[in-house]
Amino acid sequence: MERAAQQAVPLGQMEVFEALQRLHMTVFSQSVSPCGKFLAAGNNYGQIAIFSLSAALSSEAKEESKKPMVTFQAHDGPVYSMVSTDRHLLSAGDGEVKAWLWAEILKKGCKELWRRQPPYRTSLEVPEINALLLVPKENLLILAGGDCQLHAMDLETGTFMWALRGHTDYIHCLALRERSPEVLSGGEDGAVRLWDLRTAKEVQTIEVYKHEECSRPHNGRWIGCLATDSDWMVCGGGPALTLWHLRSSTPTTVFPMRAPQKHVTFYQDLILSAGQGRCVNQWQLSGELKAQVPGSSPGLLSLSLNQQPAAPECKVLTAAGNSCRVDVFTNLGYRAFSLSF
Amino acid sequence: MSSESSKKRKPKVIRSDGAPAEGKRTRSDTEQEGKYYSEEAEVDLRDPGRDYELYKYTCQELQRLMAEIQDLKSRGGKDAAVEIEDRRIQSCVHFMTLKKLNRLAHIRLKKGRDQTHEAKQKVDAYHLQLQNLLYEVMHLQKEITKCLEFKSKHEEIDLVSLEEFYKEAPPDISKAEVTMGDPHQQTLARLDWELEQRKRLAEKYRECLSNKEKILKEIEVKKEYLSSLQPRLNSIMQASLPVQEYLFMPFDQAHKQYETARHLPPPLYVLFVQATAYGQACDKMLSVAIEGSVDEAKALFKPPEDSQDDESDSDAEEEQTTKRRRPTLGVQLDDKRKEMLKRHPLSVLLDLKCKDDSVLHLTFYYLMNLNIMTVKARVTTATELITPISAGDLLSPDSVLSCLYPGDHGKKTPNPANQYQFDKVGILTLRDYVLDLGHPYLWVQKLGGLHFPKEQPQHTVITDHSLSASHMETTMKLLKTRVQSRLALHKQFASLEHGIVPVTSDCHYLFPAKVVSRLVKWVTIAHEDYTELHFTKDIVEAGLAGDTNLYYMALVERGTAKLQAAVVLNPGYSSIPPIFQLCLNWKGEKTNNNDDNIRAMESEVNVCYKELCGPRPGHQLLTNQLQRLCVLLDVYLETESHDDSVEGPKEFPQEKMCLRLFRGPSRIKPFKYNHPQGFFSHR
Repeated sequence: MERAAQQAVPLGQMEVFEALQRLHMTVFSQSVSPCGKFLAAGNNYGQIAIFSLSAALSSEAKEESKKPMVTFQAHDGPVYSMVSTDRHLLSAGDGEVKAWLWAEILKKGCKELWRRQPPYRTSLEVPEINALLLVPKENLLILAGGDCQLHAMDLETGTFMWALRGHTDYIHCLALRERSPEVLSGGEDGAVRLWDLRTAKEVQTIEVYKHEECSRPHNGRWIGCLATDSDWMVCGGGPALTLWHLRSSTPTTVFPMRAPQKHVTFYQDLILSAGQGRCVNQWQLSGELKAQVPGSSPGLLSLSLNQQPAAPECKVLTAAGNSCRVDVFTNLGYRAFSLSF
Repeated sequence: MSSESSKKRKPKVIRSDGAPAEGKRTRSDTEQEGKYYSEEAEVDLRDPGRDYELYKYTCQELQRLMAEIQDLKSRGGKDAAVEIEDRRIQSCVHFMTLKKLNRLAHIRLKKGRDQTHEAKQKVDAYHLQLQNLLYEVMHLQKEITKCLEFKSKHEEIDLVSLEEFYKEAPPDISKAEVTMGDPHQQTLARLDWELEQRKRLAEKYRECLSNKEKILKEIEVKKEYLSSLQPRLNSIMQASLPVQEYLFMPFDQAHKQYETARHLPPPLYVLFVQATAYGQACDKMLSVAIEGSVDEAKALFKPPEDSQDDESDSDAEEEQTTKRRRPTLGVQLDDKRKEMLKRHPLSVLLDLKCKDDSVLHLTFYYLMNLNIMTVKARVTTATELITPISAGDLLSPDSVLSCLYPGDHGKKTPNPANQYQFDKVGILTLRDYVLDLGHPYLWVQKLGGLHFPKEQPQHTVITDHSLSASHMETTMKLLKTRVQSRLALHKQFASLEHGIVPVTSDCHYLFPAKVVSRLVKWVTIAHEDYTELHFTKDIVEAGLAGDTNLYYMALVERGTAKLQAAVVLNPGYSSIPPIFQLCLNWKGEKTNNNDDNIRAMESEVNVCYKELCGPRPGHQLLTNQLQRLCVLLDVYLETESHDDSVEGPKEFPQEKMCLRLFRGPSRIKPFKYNHPQGFFSHR
């Protein structure tokens, strides 16, 4: 008998091209819908796919439930960052931020509601937008990315109110410190800067790479990820993943993780981080590694915790990165299954 | 007293009786107190009940008198005798009465009997009448039913419908006024019309018959005339041969070919016809010829209905003879296999000439018992080719036509019925025999009009010209592209093996002027070796690395950096792009698993291949991809950020003009080259 071929379907030009695209896909960003039942994921081809978490988590989930409900071409370039308000999905990538109505998308009508471009200084190359941050109290959207500035956009009117300058290289990530309110931004120049939203001024600067405990010069000095818990901040990237006390600007705990981390978040009393390497790492605040749960992508870029109160059954952690798959962890101990583009 | 009256009438009674009384009776009826006396009449007058009383009284008197006489006689005496005499006379009178009564009774009885008899006779007569009448009734009823059931022959004839009848029949037959009202007349009229029509048609029929006879005769005459022409035409054709050759119009040659073609089996015939037609209509570079022995074909090829039986007969005969001559099972099985895989003696030869004077020779065979067609391919070039080592498989007859259409690897028989045949003679798969028999590609079957549905095995040969025609053009184009791309690759490999990436002048714009990284090695590797490599797991898992592909390893170097690239070349190159997987050895081993930039480089070469295709038909794709790989390595090495902790200058100073070094969360290097400005940016 002939050896069973590994390909079941004869691969024509289209199938080969699609397979190659899927192999080289990177999922950069995720966002959970306001109702909590759907997950949007944006990839490097500019597509956004909407997955139905409730269908995939239900007991009669089939293979098709793990495929997107709808996929649409949102941007020309990669979709680096997405956030959701209570009605809209905001996505940003190559220089523009676009808004989509969740209700429309769920009905598969994928027309952008509006798009906005912050006023850039350079015109040679359109800078990318790497991070979006919602400030719900002031109804602001803060964008930051390739032009080294933080732009604030009023969500009501769509005007750009002010731009905060200070970073010397492009900005990777943003975090919101609710109490003050302040915005933290981490960038390629290795500094974490704190900005006061009311006065629109830089309040504090922490140059992480200058601290011996956490700097790792062979990796570079870039800050890839930030998370803050009002008094505390954890950041990582080129330097090691470190927990800082903000008021005193001192590093309190250095987490022993060799691979650069690209996403970090506080969760209950743990810190979850992910980056180069397959695993989602769970750390105690003391610096001990509680668990390392492997995912299916060789490197992870984005973690998303679905904590929407409206859908407690969809409370999962989803992780995405250097593949076309989004891993779903129903319980932080193991990977339940993967959604796939 | 009645006795006194009867005394008086006694002598008349004795005389009148019998027939004369009858006549008289009537008279006595009218004359009751008439002249003479009729006892019959008297009977009617007397009351039987009173007579009975009288009888009883008389009997009593008699008895009394007798008793008295007895008395007197027993006493004796003188006056007794007188008394006795007296009584005797009285008793005599009584006796007379009794006698009369007796007579009357008899007469009454007789009368009664007569009456009964008469009545009975009457009843009998009536009864008989009734029977007769009933019998007649029954008979009449039978007759009636018979009459009613009578089917006249005329009802069996299909008459034209009423409306038609009234429309068509001439008025003198249809007589509408009469027939409308009277169904009997109507039927008669219709029958008349029917008869008329039949007569007319019979006439026509006779006429047609006679016409036919005439025409047949004419045909005979013409046939004879034509057959007399045949030898004359032949001689004219012979005479015209030199003229044809002089004028380059080889009608005769084509004619001879068509003659031979008649002996081709149906699939090859379809192929021949379609290919010739295509060649004449669309593609002057296609030439079709038939090879093989016509005599053998004639011996084999009989009308299609018999051919199957014939071959099975000859099979059976051969089996028998082999049984007698060679008793060993193995050799016998071998013979059976040979028989099953037997080819038809005629084959069709197609020569596809390409623009650069290289020719693809295709020989199509038909395997009779398996009912499939196979093809053997050969490429000849205008100039002698020196085959570089890595290009060994490119033009080999075994693989040059592999996967012309996706998945069509030609190692398995396309006819599902063959599996059962193979089981009988112990053939596992046709793959073992393809080198000898040729490849049974699916497109070859389609060109021969053989259609094999996937599910059911097919035993009948249905050859379909439309199937062949629709595939002919596509397949010929694909064949040409295939040959040309293989030849292009052939040339390119020769250059690659010497470490030079041959970039044609019209693709120079894709790359910067200065490329420092060099290709140092280009070799073929086996399929198993490719799947064993640690950085190719993704491709293998995605099912893109099957055994019909060709695998190569390229090595690009610059300084201390060595970049290994494993290449999957799909037979459908260049419409299906080659796939590269990279592994960089420089300050550690970097693959797409641990370095996002390697992943981005692979993406630049694999996913963005369309810009590298170059001018149509895109045979420059592989070399452009390789050149781009060298450029990417340059960018990677030069833009690597300097590690401040290590002393010394950077190994690779940055010479490329880049706007930004890193972008995006993955911090990708600027791999996109912008022409003509000459700087690098991000996608």
